[in-house]
Amino acid sequence: MAGGSGNPARAYADRRAGELTVVSNERAEFADFFRTGWEPCLRAVLAVVGSQQLAEDQVAEAFVRAWASWRKVRSHPAPRAWVVRTALNAGASWWRQRSRELPLAGHDLTAPGDPSEGLDASLLAALRHLSLRQREVIALRIFLDLDTDAIARQLGIEAGTVRMHLSRGVTALRRELTCTNDHGG
Amino acid sequence: MNAHDSMSDTDVLNAARDSLSGMPVASPPDVEMIMARGRARRHRRRLVPGVTGMLAVAAGAALAVTTLAPASHQAAPPAGGRQRAAHLAAWTVTELADGNISVTIRELKDPAGLQSTLRADGVPASVTFAGQLNPACRPYPGGTIPWPPQRPTPLLRQVFPKPYGVLPPSADPSPGRSQAPGHGSPPPATPAPGRTVIVIARSALPGHAGVQIAATHGAGWIGPVRVVYASPQCTSS
Repeated sequence: MAGGSGNPARAYADRRAGELTVVSNERAEFADFFRTGWEPCLRAVLAVVGSQQLAEDQVAEAFVRAWASWRKVRSHPAPRAWVVRTALNAGASWWRQRSRELPLAGHDLTAPGDPSEGLDASLLAALRHLSLRQREVIALRIFLDLDTDAIARQLGIEAGTVRMHLSRGVTALRRELTCTNDHGG
Repeated sequence: MNAHDSMSDTDVLNAARDSLSGMPVASPPDVEMIMARGRARRHRRRLVPGVTGMLAVAAGAALAVTTLAPASHQAAPPAGGRQRAAHLAAWTVTELADGNISVTIRELKDPAGLQSTLRADGVPASVTFAGQLNPACRPYPGGTIPWPPQRPTPLLRQVFPKPYGVLPPSADPSPGRSQAPGHGSPPPATPAPGRTVIVIARSALPGHAGVQIAATHGAGWIGPVRVVYASPQCTSS
């Protein structure tokens, strides 16, 4: 008869070794997820928030939360999309809370213009003119390769709404790129 | 006619992806650090349901202890209980039940004393009360509020878990001397007691990081609060 009833100490040791192996595997799994997912997630969030520093902080925070809930996130149909959504929510929820509270002194702000350097200027200008939802839809499409249904699930909206935002976003993006190109000669 | 006019939707999306993919982005932070913060977050989450009541009791106890025996964390001569309301210290540093540090600033006096008290409590700090930031301090990544947009970063939200600022007039022991808080308020000649409270989460400070406090009389005299690299020149540590 198999089993550990004959030797409880051995059974405990086997079970403990098994648990440690699971934890070790999870760590390796998460480390791989983090290593390969950092850049696409960061670019997606950057496309939405437009600030390099803010995007880095929010994505790092989202990965922290991903590890805190790794067993849930690893079984998510699109873990990278979970990270991006969490990063964007983290920024939005704080801003909503903060806007109802005490104002900050203006001198606590860094100088304008430092974030996002290196970002293609015309594209940055184009993205700035899109609505938040349009930027989110576009970011999830181009950096995470999500299809319409997956984007709809991530954002909690209808697939038709995703198509509408995508269409309007692309149209606006094309128009902005055209204008920028014209002005730029 | 422009080249962009003839772009299909796919072309536009590809152009956007190529452009954004070509720009340099920061390399990922250390995964061990991410996992350590994740573990701490998981741990906090587990603690919350079970000990909320206990924390409330402990917070009450801590408040009572602070009120009755404010010994080592007072800048001014210690004052007990009722006496404290009459002779408030310029500032008070209190360890809260959750391990965070609360700083209450009533008068802009003795910044060096506040700095050393915070350091003794495990918070490397640079404190100035003249509205001037210590130029030797280097901002920690994510330790300042970006502009635009004016959203505090996750790091700032973790290190300063509660919005810092002016207490409501009802919280002032002497409401007759309080002034309306916020931007545009005339600088008070003598700030009303209990005006500024800053809560610092020590456990959220990254290694080699400290806080920078530069209280000033302007704008309700709430100065910049940020996360900086700890160094002998900046935080004396």
